[in-house]
Amino acid sequence: MNYVFHFNVVLDHLPELIEGAWLTIRLSAMAMALGLALAVVTAYARMTGPAPVVWLVAGYVELIRNTPFLVQIFIIYFSLPALGIRLEANEAALAAMTVNLGAYATEILRAGIEALPRGQIEAAKALGLPRLAIFRYVILFPALKTVFPALASQFILLMLGSSVVSAISAVELTAVTNSLQSTTFRAFEFYFFATGLYLAMALGFRFALGVIYWAAFQRRAWN
Amino acid sequence: MTMKKLGLRLVALAVLAAVAAMLTPHSASAESTLDKILREKKLRVAIDVANPPFGVLGKDGQPDGSDVAVARQLAKDLGAEIEFVQVPSTGRIPALLAGRADVTIASISVTADRAKAVMFCNPNGALSITIFAPQAVAVKTPADLVGKRVGITRATLEEATVPKMAPAGTNIVWFDDLASTTQALLSGQVDAAAMTGFAEKAVADANPDKHIENKLLVTTAFYGPIVRHDEFELRQWINTWLFLNTQNGFLAATYKKYTGLDLPPLPVF
Repeated sequence: MNYVFHFNVVLDHLPELIEGAWLTIRLSAMAMALGLALAVVTAYARMTGPAPVVWLVAGYVELIRNTPFLVQIFIIYFSLPALGIRLEANEAALAAMTVNLGAYATEILRAGIEALPRGQIEAAKALGLPRLAIFRYVILFPALKTVFPALASQFILLMLGSSVVSAISAVELTAVTNSLQSTTFRAFEFYFFATGLYLAMALGFRFALGVIYWAAFQRRAWN
Repeated sequence: MTMKKLGLRLVALAVLAAVAAMLTPHSASAESTLDKILREKKLRVAIDVANPPFGVLGKDGQPDGSDVAVARQLAKDLGAEIEFVQVPSTGRIPALLAGRADVTIASISVTADRAKAVMFCNPNGALSITIFAPQAVAVKTPADLVGKRVGITRATLEEATVPKMAPAGTNIVWFDDLASTTQALLSGQVDAAAMTGFAEKAVADANPDKHIENKLLVTTAFYGPIVRHDEFELRQWINTWLFLNTQNGFLAATYKKYTGLDLPPLPVF
């Protein structure tokens, strides 16, 4: 069987592919920021809230971590309208990715918080620091520093998982690639190139996260 | 001659023989796909079982539908055991080009663009592409589509035709399979959707409370089996089979059984 490769077709559509990659980067970056913020809130709520709140957070985390991402996206996009909540495709994709990352990041953050020496918190209380300041400086900051590698991995997984949102017509790199390959019939060439783009984006994100780690945790003499 | 010298010569001879064997053209590469099918008594057919009435999954989980029935009879007359390669609509042509199937029989409408990548056999049926929406959505002419969200499935005839007839300002929303497009229409995420008239009827009948109506006819087309480029023997065999089964009424009877319509006169090329 002879297959003649036509990579020039891919190069003809390079602008659309680059725009798709940019949309993936933008969607992933927003979901990372919102998901981490959500995780900080839920971690705080789980630590200091009353019993019903703790149960609610635990329920949310277990539900999201034990169901497939694609099913979560379908529910947000196709089923919520029946309850009156109609989200446009890109909004639904961002919501699903935020909720999904929030659950995993909550668990990662919780592990980091539980690894802190108890003496630190007792010392802070003895010094009379207000509760929010204790959470911010004594708990959250050291925990984030400890779990940063695990969080970074989860962020990369989120960006790669964003390829699934093309199933609900959200526009990002995989959606653009699917449309291009279905009209040009060059499936191998386009998917091969898209793989390369995802690899480049993942490496780029890793580098950016490394810079963030250095800027936030290593530059000053906190430790 | 010492043992060492003899051993070395034997090794050199073996290497030469291996290289010669590799360089000799392999006789199997000259075999056509039709010959391979006849020899192995196995026909791999790519089908789409999410595309009523051409391909569906029956209650017993086995593939059924008008094109699936055609494929079964074709394999039987070829004397080969049929092996179904189930693909989504976006995989119908890639599966053939990648060699995972010998022929694709999945209501592939004849278009010039597709003919650049694959070879069409003569058509075995006809379909229409329509835009449909719930009764409340007002679409009487293509101009009414401006500002509306229209759901379309990738790698289908509607993908090739609707963007050309929809005016600028229409918001076309792309899905990967027919089920998602249907679900988007039923949940209100799109105002209208485009698919074959047969699929539209299936959706409307299954959801009488939504009062789904056929709004615009986009195009009609003939569809047929496809094979890879250079597979002339296989294409000619399939065309011969289509000729015989038009004469004996099998194609017309199958089409009527699954669509309820009479098969129009099929062109040949």
